[in-house]
Amino acid sequence: MELQKLLEMPNKAVWRRIVLTKKIIDLIEANALQLSREIKMELLLHQSTRSYQNIEEKTLHDWIYDVCSRFSYWLDEDREKGEVQQHYKNLGKERFRQGFELPEVISALYLTKRRLWEFIAASRETDSALNLNQIVEASFLLVRFFDHAVLHVSEGYEEMLHEYGYEAPLNNPERLAEAIAAKEKRQKEFLEEPKLPTFSYTKGMIRLSYYRRG
Amino acid sequence: MLGRLIEMIENDAASMAKDLKEKLLSDPNTSSYQTLADQALYQNIFEIYSRLGHWLLRDIEKGEVKTHYSSIGRQRFEEGFPLHEIIQALVATKRHIWDTMVEKGIIRTTRELDSAVDFITYLNRFFDMAIYYTTLGYYRELQLQKAS
Repeated sequence: MELQKLLEMPNKAVWRRIVLTKKIIDLIEANALQLSREIKMELLLHQSTRSYQNIEEKTLHDWIYDVCSRFSYWLDEDREKGEVQQHYKNLGKERFRQGFELPEVISALYLTKRRLWEFIAASRETDSALNLNQIVEASFLLVRFFDHAVLHVSEGYEEMLHEYGYEAPLNNPERLAEAIAAKEKRQKEFLEEPKLPTFSYTKGMIRLSYYRRG
Repeated sequence: MLGRLIEMIENDAASMAKDLKEKLLSDPNTSSYQTLADQALYQNIFEIYSRLGHWLLRDIEKGEVKTHYSSIGRQRFEEGFPLHEIIQALVATKRHIWDTMVEKGIIRTTRELDSAVDFITYLNRFFDMAIYYTTLGYYRELQLQKAS
């Protein structure tokens, strides 16, 4: 965590955040092998991640282990630095080159997140290192990490699509500006259309109101 | 208790949808959303927040989530949206729920914290499915276009 941000936080909050970060890291690292094994089985069996069945088991195990340890690194050091963002952008490009479909890559990340979350949430049932408050806060950190991962994997993948001839039209600033101008013109025309009167009968009264055609 | 958390969000759906709409329209990471009619964008968001219970609890087999969000993915592809902006918007929609709960101090007691853990599980599962199926719909449409 950056020193500047730490200094701005009230002391108790700083201490709580440092303690929580260490507890999550310790919890995951102590169970990383088992978690990686379980996640690997899920990826191999799930219909939305079929391409992962073609990957050597050891390689797949290493990929998953990397996600878990990168989460720990992000918690501990990288939340502001953005190295993890760059890593996942590169990962998106790499998975494109390897022939994975983007939905599969996203599904793999979500299956990994789900298993990690189930593991953290289950610790409320046991005499564990995390209390309820910490579990809720841990979920916030876990979700934020995987939101970054999925978003940046998609960005990286889309950059490769662009290299191979596809770019979303609205990614082009000129096309975007044209589309926004067209929308504003339509809205303006809609507001300026002449109003037509209509009569309706409610609660024993005749009401006069106006509507626009279309 | 979980039902109560969801009900609080549903009751506040109109103002939450309005706030999120403004955020999406002013965020440079979701600039494509400026091409949508304001009312249509508001309605899309309102539909999620006002029926959150349905999406989180009653659509257990996620059939409607699959159909609805695959369709949105295809539609946004046709409209020319970059996929990462669509994902960013869905992430923002999810985050806004959590930020609102924290801001209003909805979770205070231990019982509420326990329900919050369940709520987080359901919320994440729904939005993970929404993002996955949106991506799937978008990607399939992209493949069709490349093939033709």
